[in-house]
Amino acid sequence: MKDLSIDFCGVKFMNPFMLSSSPVSNCAEMIARAFDAGWGGVAYKTLATQVTKIIHPSPRLNKYNNQACRMIGLQNVEQISDRPLEHNLKDIKWLKKHYPKHIVVASIMGFSNKEWEILGKAAEDAGADMLELNFSCPHMAIEGSGSKVGQAFDLLEMFTETVKNAVSIPVMAKMTPNITDMNEPAMFAKKGGADAISAINTISAITEIGLDDLVPKPNVFGKGAASGYSGPCVKPVALRFMADMAQNADLGLPISGIGGIETWIDVLEFLLLGASTIQVTTGIIHYGYRIVEDMAEGLSDYMEEKGFDTVADIVGKALPHVHHTDEFDLSRQGVVEYDLDRCIGCGQCYIICQDAGGQALSWDAENRRPVMDEDRCLSCMACSFICPVEDMIHYKEMPKGWVRHDPEPLED
Amino acid sequence: MSQLAERAPLFTDEMEGGLTLTLATEEATRCLLCFDAPCSQACPAGTDPGAFIRKLRFRNVTGAIRTIKTNNPFGWTCGAVCPTAQLCELACSRTQIDRPIQIGKIQRFIVEHGWNMGFSPIKKQAAAKGKIAVVGSGPAGLTCARELALSGYEVTVFEKKGLPGGNLRYGIPPFRLSEKGVEREINEIAALGVTIKTNTPIEGKDGLEKLKDQGFKAVFLSPGLWRPIRLGIEGSNLDGVMSATDFLGTLRGPDSDALAAKVKGKTVAVIGGGSVAMDTAQWAKKLGAKDIYVLYRRSYTEMPAEEKEKIQALNDGIHFLILTQPVKYNGNGTLKSIVCRRTRLGGPDDSGRRRPEEVPGSDFEMSFDMAIEALATQPEAELKDFEGITWNGALVSAEGESLRTSLPYVYAGGDIVRGPALVVEAVADGKRAAEAIVNHLEGKGE
Repeated sequence: MKDLSIDFCGVKFMNPFMLSSSPVSNCAEMIARAFDAGWGGVAYKTLATQVTKIIHPSPRLNKYNNQACRMIGLQNVEQISDRPLEHNLKDIKWLKKHYPKHIVVASIMGFSNKEWEILGKAAEDAGADMLELNFSCPHMAIEGSGSKVGQAFDLLEMFTETVKNAVSIPVMAKMTPNITDMNEPAMFAKKGGADAISAINTISAITEIGLDDLVPKPNVFGKGAASGYSGPCVKPVALRFMADMAQNADLGLPISGIGGIETWIDVLEFLLLGASTIQVTTGIIHYGYRIVEDMAEGLSDYMEEKGFDTVADIVGKALPHVHHTDEFDLSRQGVVEYDLDRCIGCGQCYIICQDAGGQALSWDAENRRPVMDEDRCLSCMACSFICPVEDMIHYKEMPKGWVRHDPEPLED
Repeated sequence: MSQLAERAPLFTDEMEGGLTLTLATEEATRCLLCFDAPCSQACPAGTDPGAFIRKLRFRNVTGAIRTIKTNNPFGWTCGAVCPTAQLCELACSRTQIDRPIQIGKIQRFIVEHGWNMGFSPIKKQAAAKGKIAVVGSGPAGLTCARELALSGYEVTVFEKKGLPGGNLRYGIPPFRLSEKGVEREINEIAALGVTIKTNTPIEGKDGLEKLKDQGFKAVFLSPGLWRPIRLGIEGSNLDGVMSATDFLGTLRGPDSDALAAKVKGKTVAVIGGGSVAMDTAQWAKKLGAKDIYVLYRRSYTEMPAEEKEKIQALNDGIHFLILTQPVKYNGNGTLKSIVCRRTRLGGPDDSGRRRPEEVPGSDFEMSFDMAIEALATQPEAELKDFEGITWNGALVSAEGESLRTSLPYVYAGGDIVRGPALVVEAVADGKRAAEAIVNHLEGKGE
């Protein structure tokens, strides 16, 4: 196994794998089991002062399934920690005593400047290695908190500054994706003194509506709401935000990547686009803490194969290849190529080429095979995505000067 | 009533439980949604799995139920008993990747789901176009009756036995096909205005003509094959020797307890290698027979039963004595033993299977308490009395497309025309004859 350790804001992580601040990091007993399973750090479930009582809606979660594929997304109305602050602080102390090499990042959320300050200090005193400022929960049941702060940039800057002035440990600001450009709030966090950015928190969404009662789910006694959406389906959006921020030279802060991570490949993609630690919740809600074993083994084997000595060497390596679409070389064109010897004749390619592609395929009904008119192929590649035979359809670049035939207008 | 609510499969008390919504959806997700789906071209009764699996996948469950039930009133029955491995599932493109979609199981689930939901896609039609008679209430007759009722005819089904269903009730055992499920499909047909008169045989040389005189504009003849062919060897009259037709039929009637008591703890021979032989052996096993031997004169691969039935029988501890020909039943009033003769396989016969040849001097005797002959069946003798019906050997002669017989107002289908056939083929005949009858009566041209 490769050494997967990485420096993040001057804090040494034994590996980049963290639990994110959520039900999976609710108490020391759970987190200890996660550490035993191989997680290197935790963003401890968000602490609040006990001035405002936290009560969770019931039920808390809803799934988003696609056909037989379960939980490609998850919606939650989970609130921040409802445990007494002193219990959480005791648990943080316990964790640092029994797992001194693991990193405990205390997530905090205040409802006033003073509360941010108190919480920051209390967490630091309990032994937290870092803080994560929760500016991003999209469904707080208390007004003027969570992502409301993350969308009000002056507040975000002020609270960051307050915490920074109160503590000496590194401070990370957690961003909401429920905005257009994440660089804006990230820059305000930086101005407030943040040492790092974590992103993304959940996307405000509605996953499902009860067909009989017409109430969106989770159905909290007759009421539904748009609330935080997470899981594999949000990963592409999260990766976009990674690239946006990592390519912003003015920002220049380390990033803890979050959003739909389940496998080592997901981890790797976040690293390649600039994250240097990653955080997971929904993957654990689906599969449990054990998935970290495959993240570590897969990442290590990839590094071995590709000759990366450290995780830090991977960070941002794909960024030079991320361009704006107007930079593409449009003079180069291609088509798809079929290995028909392996075709099983299901004809899905023909259906979608007719209905959604270039009508480049016709159908040999007798032999149940598609017949390609190369000059009509859009190289959309959609046929290759649905073909049930692995690697049967490939991209092929056409010679310079090749011209695609457009459909002729219909005559009366 | 949420159309996608999960519920337990039906009829787990009698037969193997079906799929749940989750399992059916998972299986449907394996479907490649083929263009011009090969499975949909492989069903004798025109079932369209390509459509109903797609509908299930796109959560149009009511549409899936409609697709199945509009095409086939016995959609549930066929889903449960059809040898799909030889039909739709044989054609499935997915087979070229790993294994076919479980089309039969999905079909059965969709129909059960409709029952659970209380959704029925078939609506009763006014019967204003005249009366039509159906003789026999098996899957061919009842399918024909439903199609005619939906076309606006007043249909009466005449059934000789005490309950409707034909082979679905008196042939296939309930552990393979739940009686409750069969009754449900029959009740759906009756609810469309079809009258089913049981204990009402149509017989005598003018039996069909009398129906015509009573105002029935056409007759569909589908009485099935209920006269068992027997080995005819010495000792066939001994107590304990019977046909599978009697064995299976008695177990569905008032004397079932007495027969069950006779089987319990006994050594039973089942003679034959088809599905009926397997059903008989399995039922004897369930009734507590001590040892059951299937005696078959050819080899394992020539046995006409479905592969899964054969394997299930073997796994249930039923002994296969292949290459074995019974030649004599011994006993004194009651069966005591069977004298068998070894066979070996010679050249192919008309069916393409290798012919069994007896091995001289190979006789051996085994003790048995019961012998059940599960051979082929023939039309009941009195059917031959009908005047004007032309026979083709043992079977009724009917025109290929229309299934019209030599009597112009009589059509025929099911086993009486085909010989022993599949439920789905009987359904196909019922549909075909109904269409021909409607076309003829309404001058739509044939």
